[in-house]
Amino acid sequence: MPTPTEVFATQDLARASLALARRFAAGGTMWCASSAWPHHAHHVAVEFVHPVIVGKRALAAVAVVPDGELAADLRGAVQSGDILLVLADADDAEAVDVLRRGTAWGTETVWLGAGTRRPPAGAADHVLWLDTDDPLAASEGFVRLYHLLWELTHVVFEHPGLLKPEPECTDEVCITCSDEGRLAEVVSVDGDEAVVRTPDGSERIDVSLIDAPGPGDLVLVHAGFAITSEVA
Amino acid sequence: MSESTDFLYPFIEGDETDAGSLLADLATSAEAKWQTSLRLCDETVDRYESVLRTAAAAMAERFAAGGRLFVFGNGGSATDAEGVARLYTHPPSGRPLPARSLVSDLAVITALSNDVGFDKVFSRQLIAHSRPNDIAMAFSTSGNSDNLMVAYAEAAKRGLLTVGLAGIDGGRMAVDPDVTHCIVAHSQSVHRVQEAQSAATHRLWAYVQEALAPVAV
Repeated sequence: MPTPTEVFATQDLARASLALARRFAAGGTMWCASSAWPHHAHHVAVEFVHPVIVGKRALAAVAVVPDGELAADLRGAVQSGDILLVLADADDAEAVDVLRRGTAWGTETVWLGAGTRRPPAGAADHVLWLDTDDPLAASEGFVRLYHLLWELTHVVFEHPGLLKPEPECTDEVCITCSDEGRLAEVVSVDGDEAVVRTPDGSERIDVSLIDAPGPGDLVLVHAGFAITSEVA
Repeated sequence: MSESTDFLYPFIEGDETDAGSLLADLATSAEAKWQTSLRLCDETVDRYESVLRTAAAAMAERFAAGGRLFVFGNGGSATDAEGVARLYTHPPSGRPLPARSLVSDLAVITALSNDVGFDKVFSRQLIAHSRPNDIAMAFSTSGNSDNLMVAYAEAAKRGLLTVGLAGIDGGRMAVDPDVTHCIVAHSQSVHRVQEAQSAATHRLWAYVQEALAPVAV
């Protein structure tokens, strides 16, 4: 008989709730996707959009029904400032890809999953993981996790002073574009130049330093140049 | 609120800037709720052990005779119904069994709700699809939704086996004779109820599999 033996980090859940509340407060939409467990994606979305507790705010959450390649399903819908929440196993290549793109798209990325194999560090802004290989225990844990995510997000709303994003601390350093390496997704290529999508919007950059990229490729942008392509 | 007491309630004035103590509170709260949830899951499964066994035996009989499982609910319970149908058809172990939710076809849901009434959205589907060997199972946190009770009445009339998962005090589902087997997660919290229903449903599925397993010679 499956017994719940999952262990998870409550601090990860708390940080995720704070981030979600900030994004929602700023007008973001949460996109919930799961190729493996579509009903969980739908459950998360309906929780947020139609709260079970009277008086709580309805929040913009949408379940993405997979219709081919998940990245293609999301690319047109997702906007910078949104949240991307994916439920998937650690070895789900499509989840890894979509969550990576989420950074280029300007979204806060959340990965819910289960199993003794975890995603690598940095695979998403928030990794909420259940330490169980039992699929039924995992399923029960997922429901608990996203219920708590909802409950904690609404607690954060009671602290309006904390809903503003924390100001970036730059101390005495002047940040210029030459200090940055930003992830971007190629939209179109035109010879040595390309239009790329970044969290700040569209940019035209020089791609002459790398092998010719194609639309959909992820590149690292530094001082107006693509300096590397990201290999999936 | 007088100016002199503002410092006591920094969050109300929007002056709060240190997320550290909120994060600590959130983590503590999450841990407590997690434990509460686990306790309710265990309590529910223990308390309804004989109902789960009896229901599972009855369901196994229906499956063995060619019956199918129809699962339904509203909102989060609709998504849970989808998940349960998939558990039966694509089990992690044991026998795949025929199961279908009544919540996924948007054309059917919107047509019935628009043309006939939302209270008949599930009963009408049972009228179209069901046979006497089948099983009807609904999820509800209140136990009181009209469209579920109307569906149960239709199911009972047609000879289906009826199983229900309710919450709070069980509502109408717990007392209506149209619902033969009802498991109630006794909690006021909709979220904790849904979590306990998930645990109870998984236990029910496991007992169905056991009941269907061939007896060792």
